[in-house]
Amino acid sequence: MAGPRLAPPTVTILEVVGLSKSFGALAALVDVSLAIHPGEVFSVIGPNGAGKSTLFNVISGLHNPTAGRVLFQAEDITGLPPEVVNRRGLAKTFQITNIFPEITVFENVGVAAQSRVAVSGRPASLWRLPDVAEPVMELLEAFGLASRRDELAENLSHGEQRYLEMCLALATRPTLLMLDEPTAGMTPGETRQATELIKRIARARSLTVLLIEHDMSVVMEISDRIAVLHFGEKIAEGPPEVIRRDPRVIEAYLGGADT
Amino acid sequence: MDYVVAVLLPQLLHGLVFGAALGLVALGLTVIFGLLGVMNFAHGELYMLGAYAGIVVIGVTQSFWVALVVAPLLVGAVGALTEVVTLRPLYRREPLYGLILTFGLALVLREGVRQVWGGDMRRILPPVTGSTPLLGMTYPNYRLFLLAASSLLLLGIWLFFTKTRAGILVRAAVQDAEMLDGLGVNVPRVFTLTFAGSAALAALAGLLLAPIFTVYPQMGVELILLAFIVVILGGMGSMGGSVIAAFVIGITQSMLTLWMNPQRVAIAIFGLMILVLIVRPRGFFGREGVLE
Amino acid sequence: MSLNRVLGWQATAVFATLTLLPFAPGMTKYYLLLAFDALLFGAVAMSLDLLMGYTGLVSFGHAAFFGLGAYATAILLERGVLSLWLCLGFALVIVGLYAVLVAYFATSRRGIYFALLTLVFAEVVFTFFRYTQTFGGSDGIQGLPPPVLWPGMPLDTPLRNYYLVVAYLGSAWVLCRVIVSSHFGKVLVAIRENEDRARFLGYNVPRYKMAVCVISALLTGLGGAIYPGRAAYATPDLMLWTVSGEFIIMVMIGGLGTLVGPVIGGAFFVLLQEKVSSYVDWYFMVIGGVLILIVLFMPRGLFGFRHALRGRPWRAPA
Repeated sequence: MAGPRLAPPTVTILEVVGLSKSFGALAALVDVSLAIHPGEVFSVIGPNGAGKSTLFNVISGLHNPTAGRVLFQAEDITGLPPEVVNRRGLAKTFQITNIFPEITVFENVGVAAQSRVAVSGRPASLWRLPDVAEPVMELLEAFGLASRRDELAENLSHGEQRYLEMCLALATRPTLLMLDEPTAGMTPGETRQATELIKRIARARSLTVLLIEHDMSVVMEISDRIAVLHFGEKIAEGPPEVIRRDPRVIEAYLGGADT
Repeated sequence: MDYVVAVLLPQLLHGLVFGAALGLVALGLTVIFGLLGVMNFAHGELYMLGAYAGIVVIGVTQSFWVALVVAPLLVGAVGALTEVVTLRPLYRREPLYGLILTFGLALVLREGVRQVWGGDMRRILPPVTGSTPLLGMTYPNYRLFLLAASSLLLLGIWLFFTKTRAGILVRAAVQDAEMLDGLGVNVPRVFTLTFAGSAALAALAGLLLAPIFTVYPQMGVELILLAFIVVILGGMGSMGGSVIAAFVIGITQSMLTLWMNPQRVAIAIFGLMILVLIVRPRGFFGREGVLE
Repeated sequence: MSLNRVLGWQATAVFATLTLLPFAPGMTKYYLLLAFDALLFGAVAMSLDLLMGYTGLVSFGHAAFFGLGAYATAILLERGVLSLWLCLGFALVIVGLYAVLVAYFATSRRGIYFALLTLVFAEVVFTFFRYTQTFGGSDGIQGLPPPVLWPGMPLDTPLRNYYLVVAYLGSAWVLCRVIVSSHFGKVLVAIRENEDRARFLGYNVPRYKMAVCVISALLTGLGGAIYPGRAAYATPDLMLWTVSGEFIIMVMIGGLGTLVGPVIGGAFFVLLQEKVSSYVDWYFMVIGGVLILIVLFMPRGLFGFRHALRGRPWRAPA
């Protein structure tokens, strides 16, 4: 594990300031601002098409914002490419499972962990293969995948692949973990288990978690604070018990239920 | 003024004529790319087959005009068969396999033609002779016919893709074949027919150009690279872009031959392509996402 | 990393056999030259496998790397610079410069675009040499003297050239093995499997692609650079894009992502061409047909395993 970082002289770890993103005429995000504190679990919810995934994509470097800034640990990371954002300590999982299908579970997590070894990106990486077995196995055990280590990733069950997805992100030793609907497609039982696991691992690794989630039971259970997006705008922010009673939120969900 | 009429204008027309025919070839290539994600290496061989099928049909019927209808149909049928037998099994696989497969197809078709008809250069006589006074110069009638025919075809294809249900289906399939499948459209049939159509277009171009150029087994390989460049410049998968790029390349090549020998022209065309890619990495009309 | 661990006893046995091959009964100059070609193109196919099999990039322009290497040697030999080492060094510089240029443009794009850009760049090189009279135009550079390994040791016999190609294959093999077992090699596989995910794990994917492109090009160029010693010429036809296609066929026959497979595939291709084309002139129809069947029915090639990379330990090198 990396040594503890020096805490930056702010109470926020991730700050999103006036972020807007348009695709042509479609405004996916409109002037969204958020401040996430170290160590908390912060959820972003909203009806379909509210701009949640766009928000993640802009923060993680996939898209450039039309306006606004993203600050991570008090540094401006707006518009940096995904690999640079990741190296700053911000890892992301994907809504649609995004793993390396035709190599083993161990090799999947291994290549993720290798990205943080000293020789990575240097000429010596051409002939050296640093040992990452220990952190990899530690992660696999935490997610109950240790016995599946030599299985090809594509042969895992859906739930296992969701876990592998999280292992990949965690193996890059992030300080902030962004989870895009981690329980998508899971059964209620699996969802409950996954929620517990995320909570436990976040605490054990003193992670900050930024979460997009559809399942309200998960969100209410796990979050310290919640922001609600509706048509690209932030309409509410606060702790679960406040959000639960917020009339604008209720209306957004009822009115926004266009499907 | 004399220089303009005697040298520049004919050369410009040559370029237009060639550009139009090149547009027919590139259009088929770009549609197939949009649809299957495969750059068809055998497209040049379908173009070459068009000319040979034309020779056969002319031999039987003594009519260029009959050949102009029958040869593309024959090659279209070859295209449909090829698609069903070789490309259809690859739909769900990495498109690079399709690319490699079409390279194999090109080898088989090219060498097959050499076995059947031999490697000699052949000629097809133009069905229209003489020339017409035009803007103070005279220009061969067949080339004028070629320009008119190609332009009409391009217009027809444009109408097909914008006005007919079938054309709109194909464009929809280029956008999102899975969604089309969900709507109950027989997507494999759309693919096969489109491939056949693209083959027929290539064949038509091959036969139309045959009276100007010569017919030999390598003629496809020699054209396909130019067609690739046209498709890349047009922004891979963009139909309008391909047609415009075809005219740009046709005219540029034709005009440059006034001042350079053909070899330099070839290098200049490559240079042009690299330049365009530096300025516009996705070509004239390439959209974000098509290649990503 | 000990050589034994990289090579294993099988490879050691193979190289021992190759070393002794010239003393096999019935070995003539003709067969030695044939063996030269088989091993040379086997090694070239192996270099291409780094791109195709491990990184998932299909280059349709590898003939240009090979041809440039050959021309680099030919140009020096023609001007009386006979040292093999100077020729190889010059070839590495020329091929390397060109490879960086191609890789810069081609690796910013994926899949088909990469294939097409490498193809078009190769065609520029082909056209340049085909029409530049300084380098002999379409005839290329002919009648070259043999390069000299060290003073008094010209590579003027098939036997000496044969040992040169065995040394080339051996070093290329060791290099490729080391690379694919390294951290770098694991990242290449990750890029092949899922390029986007690799980026989100902090890997600068275009830079990795560029690096592997240049490595593969240099290895191929080295192969080209030893070719004039055997053939005494370098012609533009070495750079035809259909030759690049043949390299791809060699890899496909042998099996993607195995290194060994493409070596066998390349050798097989050369031997088949030599044997079949002298009897039947529809050789390329056969080869085209074989390629189609392989793509359709055994996409990992004749000698490819489906999961060639499976179960390799992630331990630190001793």
